[in-house]
Order: sequence, then structure tokens, then C-alpha cells
Amino acid sequence: MNARTWLRLFADRSARAASAVLALVAFAALAAPWLSPFDPTLQPDPVLLRLLAPSWTHPLGTDPYSRDVLSRLLHGARISLGVAAGAMLLAATIGTTLGAIAAVFGGWADAVISGLVDVLIAVPRLLIVVALVATFGTLSPVWLVVLLGGSGWLTTARIVRAELRDTLQREYVLAARALGATTWRIIWQHLLPAVAPQVAVAAALALAAVIPLEAALSFVGLGVQPPLASWGNILLDGTDYLTSAWWLVVFPVAAIAGTVGAALVLADRLRAAIANEEQST
Amino acid sequence: MNPAHSRRLILALLCLAAACRGRDAAGAAGGTLIVSAGADAETLFPPLAVGNQGRAVTELIYDKLADIGPALNTIGDVGFVPRLAQRWEWSADSLVVTFHLDPRARWHDGRSVTAHDVQYAFAVWTDSAVGAAQRAAFATVDSIATPDSLTARVHFHVRTPEQFYAFVYTLIPLPSHRLAAIADTALHDAPEIRAPVGSGPFRFVSWTPRARIELAANEQYYRGRPKLAGVVFAVAAQGATVAARLLSGEADFLEQLAPPDFAQLPASGSVRTAAYGGFDYGFMQFNTRDARNATRPHALFGNAALRRALTMGIDRATIVRSVFDSLARPAIGPFSRTQWTADTTLTGIPFDAARAAQLLDSLGWRVGTDGVYRERQGRPLAFSLLVPASSRTRQASAVLLQAQFKNIGVKVTLEQADFNAFLDKAHHGAFDALMGGLRTTPSPRGVRDVWGTPTTGRGAQNWGRWSNATFDAHVDSALAATGTTAVRAQFRVAYQAAIDDAPAIWLYEPRMFAGVHRRVNVGTLRPDAWWASLADWSINPDEFLPRDRRAAAKP
Amino acid sequence: MTRLVIHRLLQAAAVIAVVATSVFVLLQFAPGDPFATSLDGTDVPPGVRAEWRARYGFDLPPAERFTRWAGALAHGQLGYAASQHRAVAEVLADAVPRTLLLVGVALALGFAAGVFVGLLQARHHGRWPDRLLGAMTLGGVAVPEFLLGLLAMTWLGARWRLFPVAGLASEGDAAAWSAWERLLDHAWHLALPATVLAVSVAARVARHQRAALLGVLQEDYIRTARAKGLGEWAVLWRHALPNAIGPVLALLGLALPSLVGGAVLIEKIFGWPGMGLTLFDALLARDYPLILAATLLATILAVLARALTDVVAEFVAPRRTQGGA
Repeated sequence: MNARTWLRLFADRSARAASAVLALVAFAALAAPWLSPFDPTLQPDPVLLRLLAPSWTHPLGTDPYSRDVLSRLLHGARISLGVAAGAMLLAATIGTTLGAIAAVFGGWADAVISGLVDVLIAVPRLLIVVALVATFGTLSPVWLVVLLGGSGWLTTARIVRAELRDTLQREYVLAARALGATTWRIIWQHLLPAVAPQVAVAAALALAAVIPLEAALSFVGLGVQPPLASWGNILLDGTDYLTSAWWLVVFPVAAIAGTVGAALVLADRLRAAIANEEQST
Repeated sequence: MNPAHSRRLILALLCLAAACRGRDAAGAAGGTLIVSAGADAETLFPPLAVGNQGRAVTELIYDKLADIGPALNTIGDVGFVPRLAQRWEWSADSLVVTFHLDPRARWHDGRSVTAHDVQYAFAVWTDSAVGAAQRAAFATVDSIATPDSLTARVHFHVRTPEQFYAFVYTLIPLPSHRLAAIADTALHDAPEIRAPVGSGPFRFVSWTPRARIELAANEQYYRGRPKLAGVVFAVAAQGATVAARLLSGEADFLEQLAPPDFAQLPASGSVRTAAYGGFDYGFMQFNTRDARNATRPHALFGNAALRRALTMGIDRATIVRSVFDSLARPAIGPFSRTQWTADTTLTGIPFDAARAAQLLDSLGWRVGTDGVYRERQGRPLAFSLLVPASSRTRQASAVLLQAQFKNIGVKVTLEQADFNAFLDKAHHGAFDALMGGLRTTPSPRGVRDVWGTPTTGRGAQNWGRWSNATFDAHVDSALAATGTTAVRAQFRVAYQAAIDDAPAIWLYEPRMFAGVHRRVNVGTLRPDAWWASLADWSINPDEFLPRDRRAAAKP
Repeated sequence: MTRLVIHRLLQAAAVIAVVATSVFVLLQFAPGDPFATSLDGTDVPPGVRAEWRARYGFDLPPAERFTRWAGALAHGQLGYAASQHRAVAEVLADAVPRTLLLVGVALALGFAAGVFVGLLQARHHGRWPDRLLGAMTLGGVAVPEFLLGLLAMTWLGARWRLFPVAGLASEGDAAAWSAWERLLDHAWHLALPATVLAVSVAARVARHQRAALLGVLQEDYIRTARAKGLGEWAVLWRHALPNAIGPVLALLGLALPSLVGGAVLIEKIFGWPGMGLTLFDALLARDYPLILAATLLATILAVLARALTDVVAEFVAPRRTQGGA
């Protein structure tokens, strides 16, 4: 991946817009303590101030515990985006490593890894995560990163394997091998840079998959532990009041969909930029 | 006069002419009641049906010997009404009860219900190979004799005030002519059990597991055929769906409306509510023993003064109003107001945050350097609160508790677990505190298992392993007493001991509101079994829906 | 060729064995007890629980349970699902066809709609229909599926009463209905859950289809076809689509295993007791034989689907298809 690809990417209007959305969410997450009008766990009056519609004091309304939804959404960005980003990095690392092993060593290593990928893709990911939650029983944000990342590397592994198998046959790799370079050296110097853009695409897709999954996990009651706010558990509070408290549904969904959408668009544009580069070389 | 009115008038006249005898009036009968259920029955085998759903279905299919009366009295046989047994008499020493079966009683296949069926059911219920959940109820029964086919003579080892209740409320006579040939170990999934032949007002039609159970009126029911033509339990796993089914008019009955459902009632237009007493109460239970080593007291909650101080720091009225609005009342102690031993005049620990803070200070727990949380000799006043992921109300209460504890300087970490993991931790005592909820029974006896000192035969479900000699002694005396006044007096002391020693923070008692389609006339809903009077429910023929017009019940 | 097939079969067997063993081992660590609670969450007394455990062999050491289970499996017996008091095979026989129907219809609808939307977008590339549909497909992927389901159930079902809220069929006098009426009624209940699932499938497919078509439309032979004066639809339909369908078929291959894996939350919300819900409940109930059997079934199907995709890919695109997910 070279500078030209990046330039090409950022010449693209929707890529810029998507990056801007992600940057905004990231900023909201980082600056949440300063941007939030209230402490996100503060319950001023859980009887009289619960489920208030948006107003000047509470621009996004209050939840069933009288907490300020805006503050929770901002702080929720920290958890949701943090967990998603962590899971994405973990998934990319595991996926790249296993994909590379499968491609480079082939044979039984490939068979076992590819087979495992096939099987795990067949089982709904929510079930895998619920099984792991049931087994290990804790739900701290760090552990969620491990669970979501540990179950999200499949696509990355698949892509990296396919890409590397192609790349391994390219002239420059064969040439490097002929010159006596070791396998690991070839992987490090030639193959990883070659798959980096594809990994970036897969990572963006992984990010887009993790955020709704966190919401689904909250929906079955096994998401981020209260009183920590996450977009998923704000939405969970909203699902009880679908017909009466729209603000508990609309805002977290907008946050989720906006972030996921931005990640998807970025993945698209990145893929297009790579394709263009491949054509022009 | 409009046509509907005239039709009703004609019906009324016909009724008079036929000497209308309630449910015998064929003209008023019919319609299918659809119950929106949140869970499937786990089995239709009465000894193994531990859940509420399984009980509902099996108790519609099978009749008992006698049923508890509307007052839910559990002492002696006061108020009990005849079912399969037409009448019964006591021996002079109260150790033998002779039940005379109703000669009209028939199994759904037409065979008479006999004393052998009672004897057989007792044998099945007490066989450990069957594994009946409520077997403990028969601890005082020695044997059953059958002098003739319509007489069952029950011999007890000892006299206890609740011996009649325990036997009659639990035992469901089973059709020995169909089941006796099957080994007890194979009964639980025998085809004869999955398609049961019972003696009750409704007979089994079909069961699609996880989707629906269909019952039809037993036309030959010995106490007169039910007014409804059929009952269907429609199962859905998601709470919102269970309520939506009722609100859309697809279902006619929902056992308990959740607080958010009430907001949707006006828009639905077809649903009204029916209030009845509930047997549930919820609490935050302290673990009084160390989570890792049960021989040691819990570092915090081994101390009753601390438990009391924490209780005083909690504004239960606010929690109840926030979570339930007006659909629950603050709990008083280890009982439900619906139990006849309940006492609303007991003195609870009042909410007083300032006093709670003082008490915590005096116990050495002082606000630390962060200005929020308390500590003593460098040890923070912090604990984790185990919450089952399956219960939204317990989750919501936990979130509110956590914030209130923070106000008095106590750091609470919530620990959500799926229900199975929750029970596992609870059974092993591997928790600091947990959000508990109980459905009690008409009998106050259960309190002994849940709050009594754990020893053999007692305290099997006392997860917090709380132990209080006053409580134990008075519960035991209460359970041995025969006069209702004496029982109440003993329980009063025991309950007060439990409140004062604070093994838990008593949080809420939900009031039960069933959702009912307006075309359905439900009788009184009994708190322990809403389905108890279902044979008397009816659907107004003027408001029949297409689904009510079903073909005459298939044999 | 035969050697290749045997090799693939051996690999598949190895994968299945690895999965079965690791699921079993993993389950040993899960706290909880298959007999702790009834379906509606009523606590089972400890003494009774011990008896039930003993009856179903749960008190045996894990290694012995595993060998017993594998031995029974070799004889074609899947074991006993204690949480439902019936044989695992019966549970699967109930749940699998429901999921096949639900997910099958959703995949068919979703792929047809997705390919069509992709074509439309490619046809109007860069203009408002493309942008509008692009925003919609983005939304279809980005909004959590369970929320779409809940909204559809609450508003279309309960509030406006346009569709049944939940269940497999209407209650009523089914005996008096003709087979045709019953079929229609079943389809009527399928409509909402299948459509919700199809929306998210269609959104994913459309995004792939559009990208693939736009890639192909750059090729020389398309320019040739256009130069010949072929209409834009004809170019798309006859020349571009056959060459751009590869990645979409690969996506279909990835989606096929969900025919057995099911759609957990949609099944839960719409009271459609298929495999997703069954497996979810089995997990929460710690019903090990049921979990193992269902996982095994999903595994076998995944391996089959993979083989099928490979064959189809060979068949459809003799020339090397573009990589990518």
C-alpha cells in the first residue's frame, strides 16, 4: 500500500465524508467527559424525571432511570467504539496471522484453518459469543474485546489467505526466494505490505460488524455491564418503550448506523482505490 | 331495539326455558381462549412439571382430589373444595384421611377414575426413579390403602397442620390403566405422557413444542362441561412478542403485564386488565458467608449492623415507583402479602440516608480520599451484585440500587450472568450479594427452605447462608402450631427477626395484572394458579371472532 | 479427481472431529447445570437435580461422557435433550425444516432483490437512483437486524395489525381449512420474519452486486457491446451480469450454512422456533447433547456448502474471479 492509494482514497468525496463521521465519533468518545452536560450515571430523580422527551435541559431526553441520554450516548461512544476498535485490531491480528500461516504452509495447516473458518462462519456469531460469555462468565469491556475480536477474524483470515496465495506466485516473490531470502523475511518484507490494503478493508468490515453485535449482545442481556453506557445498552432500554419513548431508540440507532455506515463506505472506497491501483500498475 | 339486543333477550328467554344451569347451557358455550405464554411447558408429566407453564397445562388436563379454597387456607381442610374426591373424612387421631371418589369422574378415554389411580400416582410420585420435584410434600404420608375402587385411605406418620394441604395440593391422580405397564424410569418421555389422558375439564389435543399446546373442552367432564370450547397456549420467547400478541388481539390472555405494556393498552383497544394477588417478592440478598470459604463469615455482610446500615441507605419506595410505577408495593419481609401469614404491621428498617451514613461512620467505614466511597483501614466498602440477565425488573432495580449505594459511599459492581450461571453461583454461594426473586406458595412453609439456617431438611435454598436462631425457632413453632392465631403469632416474631437482622433488603412485591381480551369473561384469578377457574371462563358469543368458530371438538 | 474428493472428505472429517471435541471441552467449563431450572425459570430443588443428573449420566466424568456420546453417535443416536424431555433427533426434526423455510425464503428473496437493486444502481451509476438505493442498502446493513424485527413486530404486527405478530400459523379451525388455505396462512406468518431477514440480505447482496458490475463495466468487451449499439439493459443483463455474478454467488455460499444455523434474534422475536432459537435456548439451558448435535449439523452443512461453492465457482466463472469478500 503506497501513498498514492491513500491520496486516491482521500480525493474521493464519500471517503472523506466517511472519515469525517468516524473522526467525529472518535472525537466525541475522547472528549465525552467535557462534552457531556451530565454525569452519564447520575440519576437525578428516577421517578419524576424518567423517560422525559428531548428538551433544552436534556437535548436527547432521559432514560428509564432519569439519566441524560446525550451524556450516555457520548460516553457510550467510548465503550462501543473502544470495544469495536479493540476487537477490530485483535481480529485483524489473528486473521492475518492465521491466514498467512494457511497460505504459506498449506497442507494440513491450511486444511485445519480453512475448515475451522468454514465451520465458524456457519454458526451465528451471536451464538458463539453467547456460548463464550456463558462459559467464562465475565463481561468487562476488555473481555468483550477478546470475545468479539476472537470471533471476528474469519473474514480477514479468508481474505489474507486468498491474497497471499496469489501473491506467493508473483515474480518478485519468486525472485526474492531465488535470491535465497527466508520464508519469514519474504512474508515480512513482501507479502504483508502486499496484503495490507486488503487487511484494512477487512478491518473496516470487522468494525462494521462488531458494533451491531454489541447491540445484539446487550439485547439478550449479556452486553456491557451497567452502569457503563454503550450504544447497545441504551438501545436495550429503548426496546422496552418502542412505542412510547422514540428518543431512546432513534438516537442510539443513529449513532450505530452512522458509524457502521461510515466504516462500510470507507471499506468500499478503499477497495475501489486498491482496484484502481492494480489496474494502473 | 337493535338486533343484538333482541338476540340476547331471546337467548335469555331460551335459557330460562331450559332452566339454565350455568355451564350446562349449550347456548352460551364455545370459543377458544388463546393464552399468550412466555415459555413452553417443559413436560406434561405432572410429577416433573416444576415450572408455572407446565403446571397450568397439566392442572387443566388433570384434576386433583380436592382443591384449595379461595381463601388459600393451608391449615387442616378448611375451605378445600371437592374435585375427584366427592367428600373425605378424618380418623379420630387425624392420622387417616379417607377420600370418597366421585363415581361420575372419568378419564378422557372414558374409564372411571378409581382409588387405584390415586394409589398408583402416589407410588409414582414417591419413586426416586421418577424424580418428582415436589416429593418432599409426601414426607408425612405413610401409605395409601384402597378398600374399594372408589375409596382411597391415606395413612400419615404424623399429624401436621398442613398434612391435608401438602398431600392434596401436590398429588395429581394418574391413569394407572394406561401408565402402570410402563417402567417408572421410562415414564418421563413415554408417548402416553406426551399425549396425556387426564381427568380434568380440558383434554389434550396437540403439542408443538416451543410453539403451541392445544386443549379442548372435555364434553363429558363430571362437573359439567367447560364453557370454552378450547384453550391454546401460544408460546413466544421474547417478552415484547408475548405482550404484542395480546395487544394485537391475536391472543386473549396474558398472565402478567409488564409495566411498559401498560402504556400500549389504550392504543390496543381490545385489552382490559384484571388485577389479582401475586405470590412474588424481590429482594437483594446478602451472602453472610465468605464467597470462597463457607466456614468463614463474609468480610462485610457477616456483620448484621452493616447489613442494617446498608438497608437504611436504600429508598425502596423510589425503586418500586421507578421500576413498577404503581404496579408493585415495597416488600415487607420474607413473605408475600398474599400469604395468609403475612403481617403488614411489622416494623421495617426505615429509609434514612443521613442516619445510614452516621451508622457507617460509627462502624469505621469513612469516606476516603476520593470523596465518594467509604473505606476502613485501607479496605474499600465495595461489593459485587449478581444479577440474572433474564429478568429486566431485577436488572433495573440493580441499576437503581447501585446509584443509591453510591450516594452513601458504597461501591457496587454489577455482575450480570445468564440465568443458569446465576443459579450455579447462587447454589455455590459464590457471590457477595444477589438480586433474588421468589414465587411463594399458599403455604408459609417455604420460608424455612429459603431463609432457615442450612441444615439437613432445612435451608436447602438459603443461598446467603444466613442463620438466625430466633427466626428458626419461631418458624419451627409456627409450622407445628395448629390454630391459625398461634401460627400467625409465631410467624410474626420470626418475620420481625428476619427484618431486624436484614439477611436481605426487601425490595418489591409486584401486583399481578393480567391482560384480558374484552370479549372474555374471566372468573376470579387465584394468586397461586390463575387458571384454577378456567372452566368457568366464557367468551361472549356476540363477540366471537373467526377463530372461535371451530368444528365440534374431535374425539 | 477421486483422490481429491477423498482428501477433501478426510479433511472434512478431521474438522468435524476437532469441532465436536472442542465444543465438548468448552462446555465442561461453562458454569451451570442442565437441570437447574425449568423452561420458565423455576428453580429445581437440589436433591431432585442430583437424581436427574444421575439418570442422564451427567454425574459421570467428562471423558467417559464424551466416549459414550461419540459411541452413541457412531450408532446414529444423537442423545437426549433433557431441557425438552425428548430425543435430540426429534428436536432437530422440528426445528430444522422451520429454519430451512425461513432462511431459505429470506435468502431467495434477498438475493433476487439484491441482484436487481445492484443492477438498477449500476444502470443509473452516479445519478440519484444509485444514490438513493445506495443510502438504503447502507442503512439495511447498518441498522441492527433485531431492531428492524422489533419495529416490524411492534408496528406492522401489533399496532397496525397488518401482519401476524408471531407464531407458525393462525389459531382457529385449522381442520376446516383446505390444504391451500393452510399453506397461505403459514406463508402469511412467514412474511414478516422472512422479509426482515431478506432486507438485510438484499442490502448486502446489492452492495456486492453493484461493485462487481461497476468493475465489469470497465472491461473492453462491454465497450464493444455498447459500440454495437446494444441497449444499456441488454448490456447489463447479457454481458455484465454473467461476469459479475461470481462474487455474489460466493456470498451465497457463505450464507448457505445459515439455512441450518438460523437467525437467532429474528426467530426469537417472531416466535419462530427454528435452529437459531433452539441452539440459543440449549446454550442457556446447558443442554449439551442438543448443543453438540446442532453444532455438528451446522458443521457438516458448512463443509458441504464450501464444496458446493467451489463447484459452482468453477462452473460459473471459468476465468479467474476477482478475490474479495
